[in-house]
Amino acid sequence: MLELVGVSHHYMARKSSFDHGLHHVLDNVSLRVMPGDTLGIVGRNGAGKTTMLRLMAGIIEPRQGVIRRRAGASCALLSLGLGFQDSLSGRDNALISAMLQGVSKRDALASLDAIREFTELGDSFEEPVKTYSSGMRARLGFASGLLTRVDILLIDEVLSVGDAQFRDKALAAMQQRLGGEQTVVFVSHAEGQLKALCDRAVWIEQGQLRAEGSPEEVIAQYRQPVAASR
Amino acid sequence: MTLSQYATLMDTMARLSLKADASRYFFGYVWWVLEPLLYVLVFYVVFELILQNRKEDFVVFLMCGQLAFVWFSKSLNQAARSILGSKGLVGRVDIPKSLFPLATIQEGLYKQAAVFLLLFAVLLAKGYTPSLVWGWLLPVMLVNYLLIVACSLFAAYLVCWVFDFHVFISMATIFLMFTSGVFWDPRDLDPAMTHWVLTLNPLAFLLDAYRQILLAGVAPNAVHLAIVGSVALLMALAGLAVLRRHSRFIALRVITS
Repeated sequence: MLELVGVSHHYMARKSSFDHGLHHVLDNVSLRVMPGDTLGIVGRNGAGKTTMLRLMAGIIEPRQGVIRRRAGASCALLSLGLGFQDSLSGRDNALISAMLQGVSKRDALASLDAIREFTELGDSFEEPVKTYSSGMRARLGFASGLLTRVDILLIDEVLSVGDAQFRDKALAAMQQRLGGEQTVVFVSHAEGQLKALCDRAVWIEQGQLRAEGSPEEVIAQYRQPVAASR
Repeated sequence: MTLSQYATLMDTMARLSLKADASRYFFGYVWWVLEPLLYVLVFYVVFELILQNRKEDFVVFLMCGQLAFVWFSKSLNQAARSILGSKGLVGRVDIPKSLFPLATIQEGLYKQAAVFLLLFAVLLAKGYTPSLVWGWLLPVMLVNYLLIVACSLFAAYLVCWVFDFHVFISMATIFLMFTSGVFWDPRDLDPAMTHWVLTLNPLAFLLDAYRQILLAGVAPNAVHLAIVGSVALLMALAGLAVLRRHSRFIALRVITS
């Protein structure tokens, strides 16, 4: 479904004027995701997890290596409400979100009430997103992303925020989606969720693939150096 | 994404942005007309009251040039930053980057419709009567729109590539304001100079065309208009191709900016 072969990525980010500042993000990463797989990715902040999802989604290109996606496979990246326009209402943002993922305007409009209901935002759904708390943004982001049907779902930390009640609801909705052909790549720091949802996991450290295997094994290996460094 | 999906998305983004923009201001949609009026007022105070310009109906002359120029300059400057300003979306979805400048321009187009209505109202109040020649406004506006699209697509790309370009673009806009005959008439110059200004600066030619149609009741030079329109169309298509080809490079620049 999705394959990364020898993928390396780096970019320039200026620290001061006339400077290029090279940042290495991924270094020779290869992995394969089969149809129906749920792959978890663990790693510390800044390890390259989000960049990997962006590469998988085709938003950016790797500097080296190849990313193969099954021809015609649709792909969506769910991340914390960064893509919101603050002055627009939750409803308008959900509409744009759905349309950006290729849903027709009519279908997008028709799905808005379901999104509103899932988010449980009530009247706040009609208010500008700038008035939202981070938990409310996460609700909106998750609900508007989940309702669109795609072949590959890339999830970046969306399930780690929000209150416990919504987390459970989101987790249940995810589990419902996971049966069958849905392919998911899942980045999270919530180890319980990883163990509950994923059939396989990888650990990324400093841009390199450190471990690959069952979620329990990989999380145990990931915990070791973290524990040792304390 | 099909062409009709693209067009619907662009229009929806523009409309929602207009709505959000209006809700931010107490006077809301009134600003669409109030802002251009204030622009004209400033120039009226400077040129009519302080400098005592003798030109007949100077305010109307000024409005024809100024309102069309502001359409160009505002659209260009806002579109230039539009991709960079949508960092959140660019980092989340692989979408055609041209959507952002085009949606911004579409937003400006809606506002400009209100501005042109204001202009017509003033012209009628001043005793100008519509004639068949006014039909030339449509091709002139179309060419004006194409020119905005052509410049904006390249500007948006350049600003993503090197952020410093936005300074250059606002400087260029000021330069254009002084050289396009917004508050002076290229036809008052030495004939050879008139020819050069109108030939070298497509914006000066367009502003002059608006005035010729609305104030003098004379059709613009059709060949000249067609040439400016064709070049702008080709540039716009080239801009679309560049944004499409470099879509992921742009995404990387925007995410890491």
